[in-house]
Amino acid sequence: MNPITLFNATIFSFITFLCCSLGLLSLLVSVVWVVLVYLLFCSRLLSVGAAPICTNAQAGCHALSLANLFDRVIQHSARMHGISNDLHSEFYFLPSKNQIGRVSRNCHTSNIFTPNGKENAQRMAREELTEVILKLLVAWRDPLWHFQQSIAHHHDFNNFSTNKALEMSDMVHELRKGVEKVAEKMQMMGIISNSVSSLASPEVLMPSDSAEWRLMKDYDLLYCFRRDSNKVQNYLKILKCRIVPEHGC
Amino acid sequence: MRKVLEVILLLLLLVFTHAKGTRYSPPGKPALTRCRSPEKETFTCWWEPGSDGGLPTTYALYYRKESSDTVNECPDYRTAGENSCFFNKNDTSIWVNYNITVVATNALGRTFSDPVDIDVVYIVKPNPPEQVAVTVMEDKGWPFIRVSWEPPHKADTRSGWITLMYEIRVKLEEENDWETHLAGQQKMFNIFSLRSGGTYLVQVRCKPDHGFWSEWSSSSYVKVPDYFHREKSVWILITVFCAFIFLIVTWLLHMNSRSLKHFILPPVPGPKIKGFDKQLLKNGKSEEVFSALVVSDFPPKSSNYEDLLVEYLEVYIPEEQELMLEKSMDLDVSCLKSEGSTSDSDSGRGSCDSHTLLMHKCDGVKEGRERQAEEARRHQKDWKEEASTYSNVDSSPDMSSGRVKTWPSVFSPLPRYSSNQQGSLETAKQHYLSDSLFRPSSTSSCHTQPGHGATEALGPSYWECGLSNKQPHLLHPQGQAQRQLQAHSDDNISSIGRKPTPAGLPSPALRSTEYVEVQRVNEEDMVLLQPVSGRCGDVEGYPQVPHGEDYSKVKGVDGDNMLLLQREVREETGNCDTPSTVATTQKPTTCIHSAMPVQGEAVLGVNGYVDTATVFTLPTY
Repeated sequence: MNPITLFNATIFSFITFLCCSLGLLSLLVSVVWVVLVYLLFCSRLLSVGAAPICTNAQAGCHALSLANLFDRVIQHSARMHGISNDLHSEFYFLPSKNQIGRVSRNCHTSNIFTPNGKENAQRMAREELTEVILKLLVAWRDPLWHFQQSIAHHHDFNNFSTNKALEMSDMVHELRKGVEKVAEKMQMMGIISNSVSSLASPEVLMPSDSAEWRLMKDYDLLYCFRRDSNKVQNYLKILKCRIVPEHGC
Repeated sequence: MRKVLEVILLLLLLVFTHAKGTRYSPPGKPALTRCRSPEKETFTCWWEPGSDGGLPTTYALYYRKESSDTVNECPDYRTAGENSCFFNKNDTSIWVNYNITVVATNALGRTFSDPVDIDVVYIVKPNPPEQVAVTVMEDKGWPFIRVSWEPPHKADTRSGWITLMYEIRVKLEEENDWETHLAGQQKMFNIFSLRSGGTYLVQVRCKPDHGFWSEWSSSSYVKVPDYFHREKSVWILITVFCAFIFLIVTWLLHMNSRSLKHFILPPVPGPKIKGFDKQLLKNGKSEEVFSALVVSDFPPKSSNYEDLLVEYLEVYIPEEQELMLEKSMDLDVSCLKSEGSTSDSDSGRGSCDSHTLLMHKCDGVKEGRERQAEEARRHQKDWKEEASTYSNVDSSPDMSSGRVKTWPSVFSPLPRYSSNQQGSLETAKQHYLSDSLFRPSSTSSCHTQPGHGATEALGPSYWECGLSNKQPHLLHPQGQAQRQLQAHSDDNISSIGRKPTPAGLPSPALRSTEYVEVQRVNEEDMVLLQPVSGRCGDVEGYPQVPHGEDYSKVKGVDGDNMLLLQREVREETGNCDTPSTVATTQKPTTCIHSAMPVQGEAVLGVNGYVDTATVFTLPTY
């Protein structure tokens, strides 16, 4: 048995002995002592460095491996998709909205070519896939922000939903940054070429669709984003298992 | 005409149909029950047909993809079975909205089902995990079940297309409740805390990150072997428990230490004086203490002091007799000695040959010894009996025997002598009375104690003074040559044995004593004494010469530490002072008993001859 379990057993027996022999006061003292010991123990075990993460092992920042970066990004996207799914479910059951006629229009991101199948996605090059991800994330930054603004005034949504919408928009932003870091690392490692250039301005990617998303209703927006976040997550997973397959693929 | 006929036929058909009771109708509305995709690459839709309307009905599934307006029909109706539509990979697009409708068609019409929008991503239901392997493993003596599986072969998790999460459930064979564990994305799981010797069922299922749970895999059976619980923490708990018990016991012992101490080591009781209060001591008043000590019945005053003292009467024989007695005693001893040893004492032998008390030979001594002892005992008994009559005293032979030193041994041959001489029982009772001639004062005042009742010191050789008291008449006629019973205290013992030295010693002040032979005790319980030969009329004379020839008076001690014995001739038999004896029958033989003395004859003293009394008187020896 590991020393921690042995230590726990000793502590337990000691406490039992104390409280039997000396009464509750000693039990209290021993419990306090045990708690302190645990804190000391656990804090020692769980202490991790809080240095910032960077791709380059520079001074003062903690360099992560590509696999770790991918894992973090994938988790982020998974969380984002979860929130969008929740919001979409809430919107789906709203009686006031018209649920029947849905998605008659295309999402504003439909003109972005995204692979619709496994073979298509696997056939796609890494750089393309990365670009697609980035494009998607970029395309959704403004609509989500506006969406979050609009539902804040909606009495149909409660506070919990508005918070989720806000978080969702923030996550898109963060995720985009994360993916950019991943791409940067990949480019550094020579996995992908440098074709994934700076994607600073979304207008460069989608100059003509700037106003299309304003025509979308809220429900359609949620629907579209839910799908797109799933795409992002999936694409990231594919990328990861293609580039660093040794971890959980 | 022909048209009318067709119409009539149709009407008849309709009538007949009605008459039969069946009704043909367009098909009922079908309903899409579910659409499922096992691997997110293909999917299948199933519908539930409505009523067929009595007519053969055909079903068709039509779908329309998002972003296109073309309506396509289901490409495969058979793969998935009845009332199903299977979409293969080419027809399946992910993240594309499908609008699916099922149309039922029969002769009378067609019916559309409600359209259903699906996205393949959200209808994924994988197959159950495959290759579920359950093994029992051990971890430091503790068994556990390790369950391992593989994802369904259709689901492509290696490329990251699908991410599956797994779930395991376990239950004992005989129970009904499952224990489920979420295993995450790992393909292996350990189950602990197993029942020893139990059989477990294990099942696994999986689910994509957004989708439906698969069906449970088939049950895998595993039997846990019997194991013994051996863990360190158990020993620690046992140790702590024992220590706890030990502390409790120690505490109990400490609480009851005093009573335990009293139980194991009882306190030694201190001395207690009856009737004495310790508090008096503590108070510190000595007067009270001492007064408390003085108990009424202490010291015991049950009898006089004199009663405590043993009064005994010392019986002496006249000097010669004593010497002869001693000689005989010495002869006894020496004879005994000669038997076993190589002692050669001339005097002893001489004594044997001479006409001494011991007429018989040495070897006869032993034979007669028993007889002597017996007679002595008899004599003693008789004497005691008679003595008891004189004084109402319980004879306590113990005390008397305590007082008597060697006199009994001295005394023992005496009866023999007397029996030899007279051969009568009466004469055998020979008791030697002390001669109190030298102590006239003492005779009268020999511890006369009126009311002297208890006299115990009636040893065989001693007479009490009380005797003399009670029987004054007995002793009085003795006159000056009286052999008076003399009572001696213990401190006078030395004087008892003091033998006067030879004739030159004579001070009357000497408290020497003589021996007077008691001849017998007559029927009137009177002691008959032998007249002291050679000293007729001489009241306070020198120590009488013993009667018999075997007694010799010690004349003196010469320079060589030799006893000079004196033998005197007593020829004046007739001059024996008969009145000096108390009704003693004078027997010339006794007077002539005195042997032919040889003046100045020096007889060497024998070592064993002198008894303890003479030792005192002859210190030079």
